[in-house]
Amino acid sequence: MDKIDRAALELREMDELAAMKSPVHFMHPITKLIITISYILTVVSYGKYDLSGLLIMALYPLFLFSLSGISMGICFRKMRVVLPLVCAVGLFNPFFDRTPLFSFGGIVISGGVVSMITLMLKGVLCLQASFLLAATTSMDSLCAALRRLHVPMLMVTLLLLTYRYVSVMVQEVSIMTTAYKLRAPGQRGIHISAWGSFLGQLLLRSMDRAEELYASMQLRGFDGSFRYAEGKKAGFPDYLWAVLLPIVFLLLRKYNLAELTGRLLMSAGS
Amino acid sequence: MHMADALLAPAVAATMYVASGTAAGISIAKLKKDENTQKLPTMAVTAALVFAGQMINYTIPGTGSSGHMCGGMLLSALLGPYAGFLSMIVILAIQCLFFADGGLMALGANVWNMAFYGCFVGYFLIWRTIIRSGWFRNMETKAAIRLKIIIASIAGCIITLQLGAFSVVLETSLSGITELPFGSFVALMQPIHLAIGLVEGLITSAVLVFVFESRPELLQEVNSTEKGIANRQSLKTTVIILAAVAVVVGGGLSLLASSNPDGLEWALFGNAEEGYAENMGLDEEDFGVKSSAADTAAMVQEKTSFLPDYAFPGSESAAGTTVSGIVGGALVAGAAALICFIGGFFRKKKRPGTV
Amino acid sequence: MICFEHVSFSYTEGHPVLKDLNFAIRDGESVGLIGANGSGKSTLLRVLLGLLPHRGSVRVDELEVEKENLREVRRRLGLVLQNSDSQMFMPTVAEDMMFGLLNYGMSREEAEERTDEVLKKLGLTELKRRHNHRISGGEKRMAAIATILAMDPDTMLMDEPTSALDPYNRRVVINSIKSLSNTKLIASHDLDMILDTCSRVILLGGGRIAADGPASEILQNRTLLESNRLELPLRYQR
Repeated sequence: MDKIDRAALELREMDELAAMKSPVHFMHPITKLIITISYILTVVSYGKYDLSGLLIMALYPLFLFSLSGISMGICFRKMRVVLPLVCAVGLFNPFFDRTPLFSFGGIVISGGVVSMITLMLKGVLCLQASFLLAATTSMDSLCAALRRLHVPMLMVTLLLLTYRYVSVMVQEVSIMTTAYKLRAPGQRGIHISAWGSFLGQLLLRSMDRAEELYASMQLRGFDGSFRYAEGKKAGFPDYLWAVLLPIVFLLLRKYNLAELTGRLLMSAGS
Repeated sequence: MHMADALLAPAVAATMYVASGTAAGISIAKLKKDENTQKLPTMAVTAALVFAGQMINYTIPGTGSSGHMCGGMLLSALLGPYAGFLSMIVILAIQCLFFADGGLMALGANVWNMAFYGCFVGYFLIWRTIIRSGWFRNMETKAAIRLKIIIASIAGCIITLQLGAFSVVLETSLSGITELPFGSFVALMQPIHLAIGLVEGLITSAVLVFVFESRPELLQEVNSTEKGIANRQSLKTTVIILAAVAVVVGGGLSLLASSNPDGLEWALFGNAEEGYAENMGLDEEDFGVKSSAADTAAMVQEKTSFLPDYAFPGSESAAGTTVSGIVGGALVAGAAALICFIGGFFRKKKRPGTV
Repeated sequence: MICFEHVSFSYTEGHPVLKDLNFAIRDGESVGLIGANGSGKSTLLRVLLGLLPHRGSVRVDELEVEKENLREVRRRLGLVLQNSDSQMFMPTVAEDMMFGLLNYGMSREEAEERTDEVLKKLGLTELKRRHNHRISGGEKRMAAIATILAMDPDTMLMDEPTSALDPYNRRVVINSIKSLSNTKLIASHDLDMILDTCSRVILLGGGRIAADGPASEILQNRTLLESNRLELPLRYQR
């Protein structure tokens, strides 16, 4: 499948996910934004050898996946784009950092290996958190939330309009790509003779569309400022979660729960 | 070139957010002064087009591979630097949210690496300079402009991509993420992006030349002979903006590198990461490791970093840490299973018939 | 009441698209604007809305179409664009419908109420919260009509309302148009639809009015239609 068709599918998929109903979907978007950001900050703040401490943070995305009913597979499929860079950077660590950290069953594990795995895990966790935010929040409610947070009107409106036209453009590019491929069997991409005209044609047409769109806005009284649908009101649970979860993250960061419990069990056993 | 959250320390990410946010704020103010309400729909449609256009594969002649076009240069040539920059931000935000390209926290850095250089450096220093220049004066006007567009696109893409790639290296290294020495990292990233930049430049120039042939009025700076005087003033503004942003970034980053790293890195926990010291070329023993080693990470670091040779420490505490860590890990796994069960239970109970 | 007096327009000097148009549309009339591609139908609609400048006089009721009257003129007229994707720029159908209402100072509650009312009237209630990029072509066209109808314009202007629709959706659109009591000016070359919805027809040819009269007469005049690159409506062909 072409990259462009896959993008169309992914957009569709995200829309469908955001339209699902679950406690996570019903949470106020600002609450979700606060929780997600504090989660990501907590995760990246872990030391580079602190694998055991980081593990416990994996519970949050797990819990959310489970609570929202969104399949984790979709998220992993999306990660193929950005994860390679993280892995590439991490892969060098075992070569440069050969400091032995501990031995496990006679095999000496170097600091580089631990820091590599930690880095990759961080990458996965952060992406999962962002993905969960996007997958459980529709673009319009996200935009309403951004307006509430005083993100400039121009920016939010631009985001809203662009998102609306991304699917239109992706579809047009997809149709053009198909039309091109059908007449150019065996070519893997656009031939150099059409480099300019392929996108150029679409670009010129898009300029006309932009004019038409502007006309449509003007005809309905657009005067430069957008009036937004108000986002939903935050209820008590929304406030509670927005305060509670970041505190939980902080505590988990401060006290390595996995290790504490492990040590407790060990000392009880001995 | 999208960076992930994991590649950035919070302090670096925050610095980049401030830098990109400043540039965005200036751009918004600039656009508001224009009071051109038509710009908004044009920006949105163009941004959406560039978003989709970046997924088109262009065959590179003579090779089996394919290239893509460069969004920043294209957008700023069509919309101007300010509108182009804001459109790029929106594209990056949508890529981040819906396609997991780059992370939420890394967005500031990604905007900087890909949009700022492409739109501001690419526009003011390259596109505008070259298009306005008197090059190829002896040629026919149209042919001269065409050549200037090609040169500006290629130079613009190469230079802005080099800057972007260098920033990726700088940000990652400052974050203390990689053990890869700074020099090798640079040597790895720059040449790759030189090749990518050249291809992107060629594709972008092809698109821009096509637009020039059909609707030259759509391109910034082209056909604006009398505008030259009016724009003189904005050159001064540009320099001021560039300087201001440089101060913000430079200031932020040098703060990180300052002699008191404890206050700057994730201050909340005070765990010193040796990566900082190493990358900054600072002496490890002066600071950092001696600071509050409250949590295990720091403890482990302390144990290992003072080892002069690569001998295994052999201390029981390290081994003990491992075992308890494994036991704890098992507990976490158990909790995960439980959570999955509880989550599913809640969902079914609260909203029957969904999913 | 819409009134064109000696109206001309040209994109480039010396190549007029509209040449000295004179006609009036009374309140409550349903007028079909027909003509071949490039005959100036869309241009005429745009001139009427003040999106393009013109020479001569265009009046909507007592208002001359010029800069200071545009806001009021556009409140009285509603244009349904041919391309619904250009018309529907908000994420959901409901928000798109409310966009215009809020711009004209209606409160959110009123706007919401009005939206529900119009959707119900057109039988589209289930579209309300749907996303504009996820509804079918037929639904999109109906939603676009709803968007304009919500603004309660005196006159509905439509540009090819039945293009690219399947027979069923085309019929749905035709029936909704018929059910509207507003003044209507419909630009199209779907002559069967014009026959169904309009009592009067203005035929544009080369930027001039080639004919203006009762739909049943003009649409049966084979020579007139064919000399203007049109054909008889299907039901008159044998």
